[in-house]
Amino acid sequence: MLSIFKSIPSHMDYKGQKLAEQIFQGIILISAVIGFVYGLIIEQFGWTVYIVLVGFAVSCVLTLPPWPMYRKNPLSWQPVIPETSGESSQKPQETLKKKKHK
Amino acid sequence: MNTVLSRANSLFAFSLSVMAALTFGCFVTTAFKDRRVPADIHVSKVMLKNVDDFTGPRERSDLGFITFDLSADLQPVFDWNVKQLFLYLSAEYSTKSNSLNQVVLWDKIVLRGENPKLNLRDMKSKYFFFDDGNGLRANKNITLTLSWNVVPNAGILPLVAGSGQVSLPFPDAYETTKSY
Repeated sequence: MLSIFKSIPSHMDYKGQKLAEQIFQGIILISAVIGFVYGLIIEQFGWTVYIVLVGFAVSCVLTLPPWPMYRKNPLSWQPVIPETSGESSQKPQETLKKKKHK
Repeated sequence: MNTVLSRANSLFAFSLSVMAALTFGCFVTTAFKDRRVPADIHVSKVMLKNVDDFTGPRERSDLGFITFDLSADLQPVFDWNVKQLFLYLSAEYSTKSNSLNQVVLWDKIVLRGENPKLNLRDMKSKYFFFDDGNGLRANKNITLTLSWNVVPNAGILPLVAGSGQVSLPFPDAYETTKSY
């Protein structure tokens, strides 16, 4: 069953990860401040906890799934060099063998 | 932060740290508050008996029966960091054999949300008022005090002593009721 979940792509590029981290930290901090002030005014700490939980849920929805805004700066990999298989793979092996005998 | 689990881990840990900081903030806002409120105690009847006390070392000990009225407004004590109050009424006196005696006569738990205005009339003591010996008879000065323990959501539990006291002498003879 786990293989189904592993096959869903959930990657983000580096700038996207940084953006996601800033987003969830900002949302949770803002909801913490709002919750603290609201709980202090109505004299019930329970409401502070509820507001922080709402902030947690909102940032879950915003940062856990890999939205397209987190994939705007993909890494530019080098183009694939077509392999001239036989010769290039043998040469490194020969040099390795010579070094071992010494 | 590349996988969902890694992001979820990071998010959850950050939320817990923020929650811990908020709880500490809640404690700090109420740490230095004065939790005393005036309380009014009035004793209407006292009766004294001399009975067998199987928990003590001697044959017979003094046993007091007190009927009292109690009124206090506890609303200022409750704030966002108070879960409940534990009230108790204690009697304090001195006898020939012991210089200080303290006996708890009655207690009550007041939860947040319940009516904080206490107005109790003709309450009987909940626990036996046994003396260690026979020192209650003709005792000149017995002081009843209402104190409470504040149970917070976060932080230390302050014990607030002695809001409202009343001192009274006890009857001179057994099995006689003294009214005040």
